[in-house]
Amino acid sequence: MDALVESRPLRIALVGVPNCGKTALFNRLTGGRQKVANYPGVTVERREGERATADGRGLRVLDLPGTYSLNPTTLDEAITRDVLLGRLAGSAAPDLVVCVVDAVHLPIGLRLALEVKRLGLPMVLALNRMDVAKRRGVGIDIARLSTELGVAVVPTVAVRRGGADALIELLEPARWSNTRSAPPVWRQTTAEDAEQMQGDLRGLLAVTGFSAPRISPWIARIDALLLNPFAGLAILLAVLFVMFQAVFSWAAAPMDWIKNGMAALGAYTTAHLPHGPVASLLSEGVIAGAGTVLVFLPQIVILFFFILALEDSGYLPRAAYLLDRFMGSVGLSGRAFIPLLSSHACAIPGIMATRTIPNWRDRLTTIMIAPLMTCSARLPVYGLLIAALIPARHIGPFNLQGLVIFGLYAAGILSGLLVALFLKQFGGKRQYSPLMLELPDFQWPHAGNLLLGLWERVKIFVSRVGGIILALMIVLWFLSTYPMPPPGATGPAIQYSFAGKLGALLQHVFAPIGFNWQISIALVPGLAAREVAVGALGTVYAMSASGNDVSTQLEPVIAGSWSLATGCSLLAWYVFAPQCLSTLAVVKRETNSWRYPLIMATYLFALAYIAAFVTFRVMS
Amino acid sequence: MSQQILVAVVVTLAATFCVWKLMPARRRLQILLALDAWSERRPGLAGWRTRWLKPRITRAGGIGCDGCDAHDPRSHRPPR
Repeated sequence: MDALVESRPLRIALVGVPNCGKTALFNRLTGGRQKVANYPGVTVERREGERATADGRGLRVLDLPGTYSLNPTTLDEAITRDVLLGRLAGSAAPDLVVCVVDAVHLPIGLRLALEVKRLGLPMVLALNRMDVAKRRGVGIDIARLSTELGVAVVPTVAVRRGGADALIELLEPARWSNTRSAPPVWRQTTAEDAEQMQGDLRGLLAVTGFSAPRISPWIARIDALLLNPFAGLAILLAVLFVMFQAVFSWAAAPMDWIKNGMAALGAYTTAHLPHGPVASLLSEGVIAGAGTVLVFLPQIVILFFFILALEDSGYLPRAAYLLDRFMGSVGLSGRAFIPLLSSHACAIPGIMATRTIPNWRDRLTTIMIAPLMTCSARLPVYGLLIAALIPARHIGPFNLQGLVIFGLYAAGILSGLLVALFLKQFGGKRQYSPLMLELPDFQWPHAGNLLLGLWERVKIFVSRVGGIILALMIVLWFLSTYPMPPPGATGPAIQYSFAGKLGALLQHVFAPIGFNWQISIALVPGLAAREVAVGALGTVYAMSASGNDVSTQLEPVIAGSWSLATGCSLLAWYVFAPQCLSTLAVVKRETNSWRYPLIMATYLFALAYIAAFVTFRVMS
Repeated sequence: MSQQILVAVVVTLAATFCVWKLMPARRRLQILLALDAWSERRPGLAGWRTRWLKPRITRAGGIGCDGCDAHDPRSHRPPR
């Protein structure tokens, strides 16, 4: 039995307070590429990775959500405690705990370390961010700390290559093979326990010669400015404004390159393949469909460049602090900021991040409005419609198209806040739970993190275009091609196809909001993912096109055949419509009920229809 | 005629792929586990199980349908 135990990988759990660098260390240990950001609450699930070791036994590393204490107040904190105690189904307590402590903010991390040590599990303490601590004059006698705690203490710099070598050496399974511990013991911390732990902590800090970090006067001044209720808000708006201007201005050239490449590919395909279904599938299904979505890659990259840079710099928690009071006034918990912010990349991680909200009703409100935040999948739809319908001119120094997209993002946020206010008014009285946030230090965005984050986003986008979007476009091409028109038919062939008939049927529903049958068809596969609608429009319009240049035709076709009212109505539809099945599936999982995804789908579709109807009628 | 057959194969594969990707996670996991139990009794499929099936079973433990790549619990290749 012992031999069996010693042949399995050593199970290591990474524990620490939020934003101390656990995930960076996890990535360093496992070669993983989990998301790292300079704000708390990024990890809300346990993650597992592996590392090979010299003796062949290997390490299995668990990255746990950050927590300030083992007395949980939120779901993610409860996960950390339950994993340490081996309470989760199918997983025993870890063989070894690596307690990650931010050396710059030693007292807060050390307090958790004392609590973890009381569990009785074998433990190593990783003093992370030692480079920053040294630079800011933090004094720690590491040898004394190790003696006093009775555990090994290793300095690490998780974001630097080689920064965890000493820890890796210490984690060789052979060192821990003879360590046997009794099952971990935990009890709720009482006031006396807390007082005693606080006394122990003060004693430890005194004997290890801890000195608080120096704060640069420049950083203090910048912080005062950014956290000022007026100047801070103006700066936040300016940052977002510049971001959306850049999305349109900087992306124009690379988008043209991809567009021209797709046009050349389409022309080559039609010129060199014999006329028939294969040529039609390639040019009108694959290139005009999936190729049209690929054009928006540069905009996605630029948007995420800004988001990742802001995340890594430490600015976002300051924005959360600025907006806390305002969010409270519309009935949102202060802790809702990070989930709602994450929803701008994708609603799914945003909805999962609501686990950090302790109050169920606050959490439900945040889940309900998360899909209203403009996720990156909407960008291709917005990009296509704005480029087709809004002239690319400047108003003063501002790009008009950038202004419109800024307005659409603002509309998403504003409508989310209004829905939250509505739920506050009609959802009964509730207690406001304030935001408790440790503001991280400012830092220059780490180039490696930025490049890695952008590379991940490019991979996700390209694999979606080459995977589900391409497959849906092929199916849509089939539905738009067959059955063939009867002999003597005069209308476009697509009108006689399955898709054409479906479009004609749906048009009865969508005609009052200005959608033609082509848009109605595109909305159906667009339910799988929002950006699929762009590819679907490309395919549907290409089916009625006569030229070769199918991939570049969509913008001029839309500009020529849609009224401004129809385009704006579709934009309004996309601000609200829950055109993403994955999001609804996640809501089902997170709420453990079909009730909430059904309510969400109903209210969002109703809002989308009303908004599109009003927009169309007003603009007509 | 050969063009028609080729297109029919491509469209069938694409439709199957869409159904697979948009299927609820629990159903997909059930199918993968059934495949796993079936292939376990066939030693010739051991390599395929390790390389193809196991990673997919891990991924199917994620959330919702597989239409979105935002949540991928795969662990990456372990470094030495």
